Amino acid sequence: MIRLGLRLAITGGRAVVARAALIAGAVAVGVALLLTTLAASHAFQTQNERYAWLETGYPGAHAARSTTSAVDPLWWSLRRDGYQGEEIGRLDLAPTGPHAPIPPGLSSLPRPGQYYASPAMVKLLRSVPHEQLRDRYPGSLAGTIRDDALPAPNTLLVVIGRRPAEVAALGGKPITTISTTSPSACTGECAPIGTDANGMVLVLGVVAAALLFPVLIFIGGATRLSAARREQRFAAMRLVGATPQQVTRISTIESVVATALGVLIGLAVFTVARPAIARLPFNGSTFFLQDLRLTSTDLVAVCLGIPIGAAVAARLALRRVTISPLGVSRRVTPRPPSPVRLLPLVAGTAWMVYLAYGSDITDARSDMQAYAYLLGVFTVMIGLVVAGPWLTMTASRLLAGRAARPAGLIAARRLNDDPKAAFRAVSGPVLAVFIATVSLGTITTIAAYNRGSVSAAEGSKGVVVQTMYSPDQVVAHLPDQMVASLDAIPGVRGVAVLHRTATADRWGFFGEVVECSQLTAVRVLGRCPPGASVVAVKPDFGGAIIDNSKPLSDAVWPTSSLTIARATALPVDSIVVDSSGAPATVERVRTLLERDLPHASAPETVSEIRALGSKLLDNYRQLASVVLFTSLPIAGCSLAVNVAGGLSERRRPFSLLRLTGVPLTTLRRVISLETVAPLLAGVLVAAGVGCAMAALFLRAQLDQTLQPLPVSYYVLVAAGLLASCALIASMFPLLGRTTAPENARND
Amino acid sequence: MSTAGGPLLAATDLELSFGATPALRSASITVDAGELVAVMGPSGSGKSTLLHCLAGILVPEHGQVVFDAIRIDTLREAARSELRRSRFGFVFQFGQLVPELTAEENVALPLLLEGVRRHDALGRARGWFDRLDLGGLERRRSGELSGGEAQRVALARALVAGPDVVFADEPTGSLDTLAGEHVMELLVGAARDQGSAVVLVTHDARVAAYADREVIVRDGRTTSLLPAR
Repeated sequence: MIRLGLRLAITGGRAVVARAALIAGAVAVGVALLLTTLAASHAFQTQNERYAWLETGYPGAHAARSTTSAVDPLWWSLRRDGYQGEEIGRLDLAPTGPHAPIPPGLSSLPRPGQYYASPAMVKLLRSVPHEQLRDRYPGSLAGTIRDDALPAPNTLLVVIGRRPAEVAALGGKPITTISTTSPSACTGECAPIGTDANGMVLVLGVVAAALLFPVLIFIGGATRLSAARREQRFAAMRLVGATPQQVTRISTIESVVATALGVLIGLAVFTVARPAIARLPFNGSTFFLQDLRLTSTDLVAVCLGIPIGAAVAARLALRRVTISPLGVSRRVTPRPPSPVRLLPLVAGTAWMVYLAYGSDITDARSDMQAYAYLLGVFTVMIGLVVAGPWLTMTASRLLAGRAARPAGLIAARRLNDDPKAAFRAVSGPVLAVFIATVSLGTITTIAAYNRGSVSAAEGSKGVVVQTMYSPDQVVAHLPDQMVASLDAIPGVRGVAVLHRTATADRWGFFGEVVECSQLTAVRVLGRCPPGASVVAVKPDFGGAIIDNSKPLSDAVWPTSSLTIARATALPVDSIVVDSSGAPATVERVRTLLERDLPHASAPETVSEIRALGSKLLDNYRQLASVVLFTSLPIAGCSLAVNVAGGLSERRRPFSLLRLTGVPLTTLRRVISLETVAPLLAGVLVAAGVGCAMAALFLRAQLDQTLQPLPVSYYVLVAAGLLASCALIASMFPLLGRTTAPENARND
Repeated sequence: MSTAGGPLLAATDLELSFGATPALRSASITVDAGELVAVMGPSGSGKSTLLHCLAGILVPEHGQVVFDAIRIDTLREAARSELRRSRFGFVFQFGQLVPELTAEENVALPLLLEGVRRHDALGRARGWFDRLDLGGLERRRSGELSGGEAQRVALARALVAGPDVVFADEPTGSLDTLAGEHVMELLVGAARDQGSAVVLVTHDARVAAYADREVIVRDGRTTSLLPAR
C-alpha cells in the first residue's frame, strides 16, 4: 500500500504535482523559519557562553577554570564604555607575575602602554578622530583579540595593559582564575556587559511553536482538499475493495511525501540564507556563522518530526471525510459547538480582573506573581482557541439572519455549517496576534512610562552624564581646567558639577547640590527658584530625567542652605554636560571625561542609560513582531487551501449558478467573506482580548494605563493580513476557471 | 412576449465545434412565448450544446441567436449573464442547489441576486413550496432532500423570478419514473400558469410527450421539426 501510495504521489499527473508543490512550498517556508529560530536559539546560548570570561571577578560568577599550578594574581577591571550608542567592553589588566592567567582570545597579556582590540574595535578606532575615541585608551595597539573570546563579530572590546596600582585605582581586583560562568548562569552581582540569553531562548521557543502550529494546520487542510479532489480515484479504489484505512493511508503518504520535500527545500533555503541570517542583529549583535548551527537533535526532530506531524495532521483531517465506493463526501454537519466552550476564556479573564482589582498580588513573591499572571494569560490564550468555534458559529448565525445579499447568506451558512473548521484555519494568526498584542502592549506602555515626554527624550541624546556611583569613585576636586576644557568643546552648552552632601537618605542615596549658574547653563536639569544661588537636586538619570512623565527640565529645585563656597568644596558626585547632541561633540565630551576621570563610571548619554534599561524589552518587541509577520502569511496559505477545498466541494453548484447568470464577482464575494471575515474577526477579537489582558496586567502590577500600540504593530498586522488576502485572492483565477459556464456539464 | 408576431427565441444556422469535434452544424430552432419545446436526440448529438447556445451560455461560431428581438450571441458575457439571471430560468439534472443554503433560501436566490429585499424574497419563495408539494421542507438543506424534492426545489428556483424562458436539461434524468412524472407535471403546469416558454432537453420520449413540439438533433443538426403528440 505504501509503494502504491508513493507511486500515485509521484506519477499522479499535473494536479498532484501542483498540490504537492503547494504543500512543499508552505512547509519549506515554515521549516526555514523554524530552523532559523532553532539555530538562533543555539547562537544566543553560544554567544552567552562567549561572554563568560568577562564575568571574571564578579561574585555572581561561581564557576571558574580549574588551575593546577600556582598562578600570579592578575589585576582585573572591566567597565562598560560606549560610542554612539554601541557598547564597548573595556578591560584593564595588570599581571603581578609571569604566571598570571591569560584571558581567552589573547596569546599574551598586554604590557603597560599596550592594548589589544577586537577586529570591529580596531576598525572603529581607525575610522574616527583620536579625540573622539582613541584618546580614552592609553598606549598603542599591540594586537587583535581572537574570535574565540568574542561573543559576536561586531563586538567592541579593548583589553588594556596597566600597572597593578593603576588597575587598583580604577577599582579593579586581583583574580587568579578566569570565569566560565555565562551571564545567564550568573547570579547576584555580575558583569555590566552581556545579556541574559534565557529570556531570548524562551521567546524563540514561543516563536517556534507559533510557526509550527499554522504549518500543521495548513498540511491538514491541504490533505483534506487533496482527498476531496481525488474523488474518482479513491472511489474506484473503494469499489475494487480498498478499505477506508487503506485509502486514508494513500492520501497520507502523498502529504508526507510533499512535506518531506518541503523539509528538504526548507533545509536548503536555511543553508543558503544562513550567512545572511548571521548578519541580522537579533539583539543588537550579529552572530558568528559557526554559532548559528543546528544540532543533530534539531535536524532529526525537524526532518522526522514535521513529516510525522504531517501524517498525524493528514489522518486527523481525513477523519471528517467519508470515502465511499460512490465518491467522497464530507460527513454530515458536525454537532454545533456548545457555549460551555466560553468557560476557559471567561475564567481566565475573571482571574486577570481579580488580579488587577481584587488581590494584593504585588505583595506576593515575584515568582508567584509571574506564575499568577502567566496562569491568567495562558488560560485566556487557550480560552480563545476553545471559544473560537462557538464565537464563529454565533457570529455566522447573526450574519445569516441579517444577510440581504446572496454572498453574505451563502458565506454565513457555510461558516455556520462547520465553525470548528472555519476557526481552525484562522487560529494560527489569532494566537499570534494575541501574543503580539499582549507583549507589545505591555512593552510599549512600560517604555512609554519610562520615556516620559518626547521633548525630553529628544534632548537626552546630547546630555552626557558621568556619575561616581561608588564611594571610592568620588573625587574631592576636579582636575584643573577640566570644566573649562569641556566648555571649550564645540557644541557644548553648559557643564554642571553636582556635589555630594554628607547625609544620605533612608535608601543610602546622598543628596546633591549644584550652583544655580551651572544649572541654568545646562537647562535640562531643572531650574532654581528666584534668588537662589545653590539648590538641592535629586535627578534620577536611569529612570528618569523625568519624574512622573514630566520633563526634569520643568523641575524647580528647593534652595539649599549651603553657600557656593561650601557647596563647591563638597566632593564631586556627578558631572552633567549639556550639548547639541552632535555625535562628534558627544564623543569628544565622553573621551575627555574618561581620560580625566578614568576611575569613575564610564560617561553615558541619558538616552543610552534608558536604552540599556529597555534593551531586553526592545528584543522581545522585535521577536513579537517576527511572530506576527511570519504566522499571518502561513495562515494565509491555510486559508487559500480552505478556499480551494470549498471550491472543490461546491464546484458543481457554483458552476451551475454561474451558468444561470450569477456574476463571478458574487462568487468571489462568497469566497472572500467565508475566509477573510473569520480572519479579520478573529484578529480583531484577539487584538481586543490581548489589549484587555495587557491593560489588566499593567493595572495590577505597575498601576499603569495601557498606551497606544506602536505604528509598527499596525503596519505589521496590516501587512500580514494583506499578504493573507493576497494568497486568498490568488485562488480567484481557480474559481473563475472551475466555474466557467463553458466548462459546466449539467448532465 | 413574442416580437411582432415572431418567435420569442430563434436560433438560425448555429455552428460550434469543440476542438476538431463539431457539436452543432447548421442547427436552427424557434420557440414561441409560452410554448413548450422538447429537444430530443441521442447522447452526444449536440442537444445540450444547442440549449447552451440558446441560453447565451455558449457563443456559436456561426449563425445567430435572437431573443425578444435582441441578438444575444453578439452580447458581451456580462450582458448575457444579466439576461440569464433576469429573463431565463434553469433546471438541470442534479447538483444545482447550494448545499449550505436551506431550500427556501435556494429558491429565493435569484430574487436576492436581483436585489429584492430578503424578507420579500423569502416570502415569494415560500409561496412556491405548497404549489410544488414541498410544504414543510422550507428549512431543509439539499442533503436532507430526496432527489425528487431537490428537483422540485430547483424547479421553484427556476420559476420564482417569472422568467420568459425556462431551460430544462434532462430535469428528470436522475429520478425514478414516478418522481419524474411528478416533476414534469409541475413544470408544465407552473410554466403554463405564468406563461413561461420551456425548452426541454431530453432523450426520454415520455418526457418529450409533455411538449407542444419536438425538435430532433442528430450529429449537430436539427434534422426534423415534428408537431408534438
